[in-house]
Amino acid sequence: MIVLLAAAVATYALRTVLITLVPAHRLPATVRRGLGHLAPAALAALVATAVVGHRGVPVLLVPGPVHTALVALAAAALVAWRTRNPALPVLAAVAVAIVAEVVT
Amino acid sequence: MDITLRHSPASEVRAALRDLTPVMVGLAPFALLIGVTGVRSGVGGGTGVLSSALLLGGSAQLTGLTMLAGGAPPLAVVAAVTLVNARFLLYAAALEPGFRDQPRWFRWVGPQFVVDPTYAMAARRDDLADPRRFRRYWLAAGVGLGTVWVGLTVLGVVLAPVLPESAALDVAAPAMFLAVLVPQLRARPARAGASAAAVTAVVASPLPDGLGLLCGIAAGVLAATLVDRSAS
Repeated sequence: MIVLLAAAVATYALRTVLITLVPAHRLPATVRRGLGHLAPAALAALVATAVVGHRGVPVLLVPGPVHTALVALAAAALVAWRTRNPALPVLAAVAVAIVAEVVT
Repeated sequence: MDITLRHSPASEVRAALRDLTPVMVGLAPFALLIGVTGVRSGVGGGTGVLSSALLLGGSAQLTGLTMLAGGAPPLAVVAAVTLVNARFLLYAAALEPGFRDQPRWFRWVGPQFVVDPTYAMAARRDDLADPRRFRRYWLAAGVGLGTVWVGLTVLGVVLAPVLPESAALDVAAPAMFLAVLVPQLRARPARAGASAAAVTAVVASPLPDGLGLLCGIAAGVLAATLVDRSAS
């Protein structure tokens, strides 16, 4: 309980510091320009780390659950590209993952 | 008449909930997984639910619960959670213009909802320049997300004994992130940034909790900025 509270306080500080305490508009112009490119970088990094965990490049070379996840996410990317609907890619990925589990 | 309707207080709330609904479809399995992990790891369903209410950040919650279950020292747990959530610092910096010219209470309360989905939702909208509109949209999105997130975590705790082990739960969250990412890839800097971020995150993933992710984000932002600068 106390550990979670401490983690929550630390996380709140991360969320607040550049909004309330040191507003980001006081940051250098180069940094502010870079922030405009944050979304795609963060989302791509989140997807990549969700797939490989802490296992690095080697896990991509060994057939297994990671390849199933990659196929499911490839299906999600295709659906996202074609439909622009935020829900359908998730449903596609989950469906592909379930089918892959049933088949194997 | 039409303009009045589009700018009524309820319209921002409706827009936020409309944007949030498909996002929550993607996040639902992730929230369930938090509850399931709390129960199955032995730290307890209540701790899982509490982590959802306090932290509101799935990957850090999973990290914290797993470390607590493994008997990690409290300081190590706090440090790992902070590291995993360090990207919120960047999100907050990017969102700061929306928090400018806002009441003091909002500048202290609003940032609690800075998290991947709310950042992605707000970043995609170009109609939130007015402080009041941003405030209504942000609060509706944040409170809505938090409420559903905690509710689904509770559901995960309840369903933990009967839910089968399945990779389907694991792919839902990254698929949701892809759903938000892919439409942004029309621009060349975004493609360069996303590619650099993904490759770097994979290569750096063996680093301690959260560092690989941060390296990926930093590399992506740098690559996109360089490509953008060379194009202009």
